[in-house]
Amino acid sequence: MKTSLFRAAMGSLLCGGFLHFSFAQEFIQDLGNSTVVAEQSAETILDGLRKDEELQAEKLDRKISTTIAETIKNEPDIAIRSMGPAAARPVIKGLSGSHVTLTEDGSFCGDMSATSPDHAVASEVLTAHKLRITRGPQILSHSFAAAGGVIQVEHNDIPFEIARPQPTAESNTQIHGFITDYAESGQPGFATVIGANANIHGLLLKGELSARNMSDMKTPNGNLKNTDIENKGFAIGAAYNFERFKLGASFRNFTSNYGIPGGFIGGHPNGVDIDLFKRDLTLRGLYLPAQKSSDTLSVTFRLNQYHHTEYETKEYVGAEFAVNQANIRIEKFIAQIGPFFGIHFGTELDARSIEMGGYVFTPPTNSYAASLFSVASLNGWRDGLEITLSTRLGGTFFKPSESIVADKDAIEDRNFALWAIAAEFSQRVAPGKFLTLNVFRTTRAPTIEELYNQGPHLAAYTYERGNHKLDAESGYGAEIEFRDYGEIINWRAAVHSTWFLNYLAPRATGDTNWSQILPIYQVSGDDALLMGASASVETIAERGFYAQAGASYVCGFYQNENWSDMPQIPPFKFHGEIAYLWTHVRAGVNAEFALAQNRTDRYEERTPGYATFGASLEFHWPLTLAHYSIVLRGDNLFNADVRNHLSRLKSVMPEKGRNVSILAKAEF
Amino acid sequence: MKKFQLLAIAIFSVLFAACSESNSTSTEQHEHFEVEGWRLYSAEWDTLYSVYRGKEDSKLPGLKVNANCMSAHIHVKFLDENNKEITGPNDEEHSLGWDVGDSKILDIHFEGGWGFHLKGLKEGETKLVLKVKHHDHADAKTPEIKVVVDKALDADKCPFQEDEDED
Repeated sequence: MKTSLFRAAMGSLLCGGFLHFSFAQEFIQDLGNSTVVAEQSAETILDGLRKDEELQAEKLDRKISTTIAETIKNEPDIAIRSMGPAAARPVIKGLSGSHVTLTEDGSFCGDMSATSPDHAVASEVLTAHKLRITRGPQILSHSFAAAGGVIQVEHNDIPFEIARPQPTAESNTQIHGFITDYAESGQPGFATVIGANANIHGLLLKGELSARNMSDMKTPNGNLKNTDIENKGFAIGAAYNFERFKLGASFRNFTSNYGIPGGFIGGHPNGVDIDLFKRDLTLRGLYLPAQKSSDTLSVTFRLNQYHHTEYETKEYVGAEFAVNQANIRIEKFIAQIGPFFGIHFGTELDARSIEMGGYVFTPPTNSYAASLFSVASLNGWRDGLEITLSTRLGGTFFKPSESIVADKDAIEDRNFALWAIAAEFSQRVAPGKFLTLNVFRTTRAPTIEELYNQGPHLAAYTYERGNHKLDAESGYGAEIEFRDYGEIINWRAAVHSTWFLNYLAPRATGDTNWSQILPIYQVSGDDALLMGASASVETIAERGFYAQAGASYVCGFYQNENWSDMPQIPPFKFHGEIAYLWTHVRAGVNAEFALAQNRTDRYEERTPGYATFGASLEFHWPLTLAHYSIVLRGDNLFNADVRNHLSRLKSVMPEKGRNVSILAKAEF
Repeated sequence: MKKFQLLAIAIFSVLFAACSESNSTSTEQHEHFEVEGWRLYSAEWDTLYSVYRGKEDSKLPGLKVNANCMSAHIHVKFLDENNKEITGPNDEEHSLGWDVGDSKILDIHFEGGWGFHLKGLKEGETKLVLKVKHHDHADAKTPEIKVVVDKALDADKCPFQEDEDED
């Protein structure tokens, strides 16, 4: 390590350890140390700062809950769309469904959670080593939906990280393992994960077993029946490092059996039981050029199978989906070339077939997608200015098959040419202060359900109508963010706005399907304006008093005479925490409140606000080559009646009531 | 070392083969029998109850039966999107189903086809939801139909005797 970098790292530590490494380089310069010649980082300062916001290690343990969405719910701009505790999916800046992409270890998460509110995210949150909400131009390396975001879940199934290219004779076998247990009272039950990594003669191996078994959710109004969850999973991985190549493979299997409550108007009297499995086989190769090993070329191939069955009774299948998907992603990274740095470019090819059975009214469809993406940053143009440019070009082709459930006129091949671009300008306006402007064009192809579906969806209590004539959604947006990294506190505030052309969403038509007596939702494309803001503040002390607070707000309007409100927009939400930090202990109290949501689409119900209070006590300590953590948490201690505006069950039952949870973790 | 490599390759080959197996649905897609309304007739084909697009015809007498008695046969017909009467599907997959609000007041006697009898158990009022069952799934259903169970009669005084010929 060069002296400059070493000093930068030390500077970071001296400043409380809150600074990201790349930022630390700049910070040293800001302090007037003219002797420092900072090396070019492979990422922008802003991306470095964003990395510090990732949920991992103790920060992740502190927030772990039943699902990924519950775990990240207090991050800026995040809300939860749900239909019971299992079927919860993150919403970013008021955007849900396919505006929010989920990836696992950098590749697509092949489930159907984006298509329906009763479909769960097929990923066990307790197995995640890191959760990252990708923002800004980096979104385009995974998705066209620049207005939304990407939730990256890292399992590290291919264990390149503990790579020891040339193990010494003395230490050619290394083993790392962990066990994590989680239990709670709000939905009585437990979850557990046991995992181990080993380096055996240079062959890097990973194994992991997980299980979750939770009974019905307790609410202040009683138990919400048929909300039990039973997840099981395992993952194995292997990697081997050659001189210039790294090769790895992994297999992840996830099964889930969860309930969707019933007994409401339009719903099944006894609810719906959903069984699903997801299998991912992933092969990954990395090439490290001899002249510059950081400039990697990676090829990732993932074969995915997803099967989902909805039982209305034990004997009969109400709905069934079988998805087979293959995806290849080729990505080249170049640390620096000319004025550009942190360059990623590549291609993604995807083939997906989906079959339906039972009472599903979407025809079986094959779809194919191809895209090219690139992200690059540059600086030096103006002092303290970093620019990141990204683009994604591609197309999607849908080929539906004839089906007895579909109107023959609606069985039409559709293809969509898609392009999205983003440019982010981040200016350091003063030491530790950054003003960022991100402008983008966002787009997405309609989903097959939005194009071809025509029928009741009992689990969602709706009659859903697609429209095979839909065009792709697009829009233009901007976000302005200010970040201030001070000696006592860090804070950020952002405002964002997106003007959507042809915003695709199912909207309650006010009509009823009189056969099933279900409200009819029709997918339509309308021009719409989505605006919002978020802010967060955090003290930087690693010992002693600590405080953190964050708030998010978003509103959306359709362009019509009255600028009517868009549906499914989360209300203003605030979350704050005060804690005291000792060396191995952390104790805190927290509060969360949401205002009532009175801005609703036609036929959408208003939702009252709520306030909840919680407390936490954590212990983290190392002992004889192992690290132990215990996190005790009490949420909604006063058993408040919490209604989530984005829950389909909000008019029937509140969210989880008083909940005491414990997470225990041992790593060796 | 080579043993480990071979083992890893073998494991992943097996898993690759497992993933290559077809992942298909085990059930066919089912077409729905769609109706916009229901009409219930007495054994003499007088209209007792009718609902079209959620609107009940309040001029009709509705469903009544005495406690301890069985009603005459009630015929079930359906209304399409043009308010025209259609008959129910004639196959083994579809059948008449029902939910009774209070099973202590009312029971349903089903003799096959698209018809049924009311059986009064106890004086009172309850709700009845009729369904077109497709296997165990309801293709169509009525709104909640009010059923009045009048005072109990001796079996021999019931208006309809179970041994009477229907129709």
